[in-house]
Amino acid sequence: MDPELPEEIRILQKTVRQFVENELAPHEREIEERNEIPRAVIDAMAGAGLFGIGHDERWGGQGFGKLGYCVAIEQAGRANASLWNVIGASAGLCGTAIEIGGPDEVRERYLPRIFAGEMLGAYALSEPGAGSDAGSLKTAARKQGGEYVIEGFKTFITNAPIADVFVVFANVAPDRGSKGITAFVVERGTEGLTVGPNDEKMGLHGSTTAQLFFSGMRVPAANRVGEEGQGFRIALGTLDVGRLGLAAHSVGIAQRLLEASARYAKTRVQFGKPIAVNQGIQWMLADGATEIHAARLMVYDAAARADKGERITQRAAMTKLFATEMLGRVADAAVQIHGGMGYMRELWIERAYRDARITRIYEGTSEVQRMVIAGGLLEDA
Amino acid sequence: MKFLVCLKQVPDSTVRVKVGGDRRSIAAEGITWSISPYDEYAIELALERKDADASTVVSVVTVGPARSRDALRQALAMGCDDATLVTSEADLSALDVAKALAAVVNEAKPDVVLCGKQASDDDQGLVGPALAEALGWPHVGMLTKLVPGASGLELWREVEGGHEVWSAAPPVVALVHKSEKEPRYPSLPGIMKAKRKEIPEKDLASCGVTPGAPRPEVALMDLPPQRGQGKVWKLDGDAKGVAEQVAKALREEAKVV
Repeated sequence: MDPELPEEIRILQKTVRQFVENELAPHEREIEERNEIPRAVIDAMAGAGLFGIGHDERWGGQGFGKLGYCVAIEQAGRANASLWNVIGASAGLCGTAIEIGGPDEVRERYLPRIFAGEMLGAYALSEPGAGSDAGSLKTAARKQGGEYVIEGFKTFITNAPIADVFVVFANVAPDRGSKGITAFVVERGTEGLTVGPNDEKMGLHGSTTAQLFFSGMRVPAANRVGEEGQGFRIALGTLDVGRLGLAAHSVGIAQRLLEASARYAKTRVQFGKPIAVNQGIQWMLADGATEIHAARLMVYDAAARADKGERITQRAAMTKLFATEMLGRVADAAVQIHGGMGYMRELWIERAYRDARITRIYEGTSEVQRMVIAGGLLEDA
Repeated sequence: MKFLVCLKQVPDSTVRVKVGGDRRSIAAEGITWSISPYDEYAIELALERKDADASTVVSVVTVGPARSRDALRQALAMGCDDATLVTSEADLSALDVAKALAAVVNEAKPDVVLCGKQASDDDQGLVGPALAEALGWPHVGMLTKLVPGASGLELWREVEGGHEVWSAAPPVVALVHKSEKEPRYPSLPGIMKAKRKEIPEKDLASCGVTPGAPRPEVALMDLPPQRGQGKVWKLDGDAKGVAEQVAKALREEAKVV
């Protein structure tokens, strides 16, 4: 096992970090205040190739494998978390679902534009009654000639207000349960598709989220992703990658919070000395550093195994669980170390604290990750 | 036109440098290494010529330990065409480095050799002029811009309060102070392309260099003394009164005005 990242991944790491710190971080506050990411910033991320990292060069991706994907996302954690959320939902979820499901004709039609950031994607799986239990989704698709007619609705769909294209999961055979779930590519503007208003959230204010409503929505059969009934498998495969990305993002955010906390602790003087000399503060920093290190190794390990073709469902679940729970603890400690200033909007710390909370919920709650881990464990016992 | 950029891998400018146990060198542990900033400007100037004329070839070379390969790979990812590594794990004198570089230049036969005006680690600024001397080529310092001119090259250099434009017919060695644009980021396809390129390696012997040129040695390395605590005055009165007290303190106590 080589503990050192490959040379090209190290260059990627440095390049993405410079881009994030110089070109994206200056927009953090503006994004939070405007509740949106200026289009020029999304275009700059596209121009830098961020949408294509970790995706197959055959389909217009930039290559670098899942290890490169995770290393890049970790660095993206050094600016407003909404920024990566747009890429993660577009290329990471929508793109990956199409990449996994195929067929080539659909891949060729959409992936190069999604991975170039010219086309924004969204991933429509969750429903009001089907969150953690995604297999119970109620949106139905009925084949009619060369088309499918889709009825139903979706909720909490990241990028929905700005997406050009959606991967929608619907059931073609409700009597077969999750084995009837099928994925479709739906373009914005399709008749029968309505996008709801932007949801108001606790955090991730630059990232948009909305409901989708399908009423007699007709989708050409040529837009089906994979075969009928393969949708749930595609969804789970996509989530393995998505969870890894989210874990990598958590590591990057936590690292930045830790660095800011250490700097602040050295300069904040109380009782005549910097608070960093207090063991209570030192232990918070030491615990954070230790947990970040562990989470980072978990991410790199799972990503490197994914690149070798291993199935990483268990590892992705463990990594997502540990990294996002770790981020919760590090963000909490960061606010504590910054004291009153950590609670003020003037610093980015309180925003990072709010943004962090969703990571334990979306792309599988911590409880669902534990279900996946325990399920695999007991199956092998 | 053919450019050869000589670069050095140095501790990244974001690294908090610590003095090593011998107190004559820095502690190498945990250091992130990068291309020296002035060398990055040199790469940018050369690549701008390549942007303007695709037939331009930009090569890079470094003399240093094996880890310097990363810096060459970074330069390739930025868009340079080829790279040569002259390996030496030992810390060399500027003169030995210049001699090794001269051997590479004689083999590669570039029209223009660009170096950063100094490396950001030791700030000696010796290698560039020594290389020009070793080659017997003309040498221009403080370069900020490079454009083709009627008689070869127009070399813009920064001088106190303005700039000068020099002209030189290749071959020439120029030392770069700055580029108009910030050095570019490697493009992602550039990184993948760089990954597939071979970086040939040479040793000092194959460059005809036996290290040992006379050099001064570092006797002691030390960090600046810790700054003392600031002083807080409690001043009362109107703005004029306060200003007077501050001016008095700055003159009589701090002795800075």
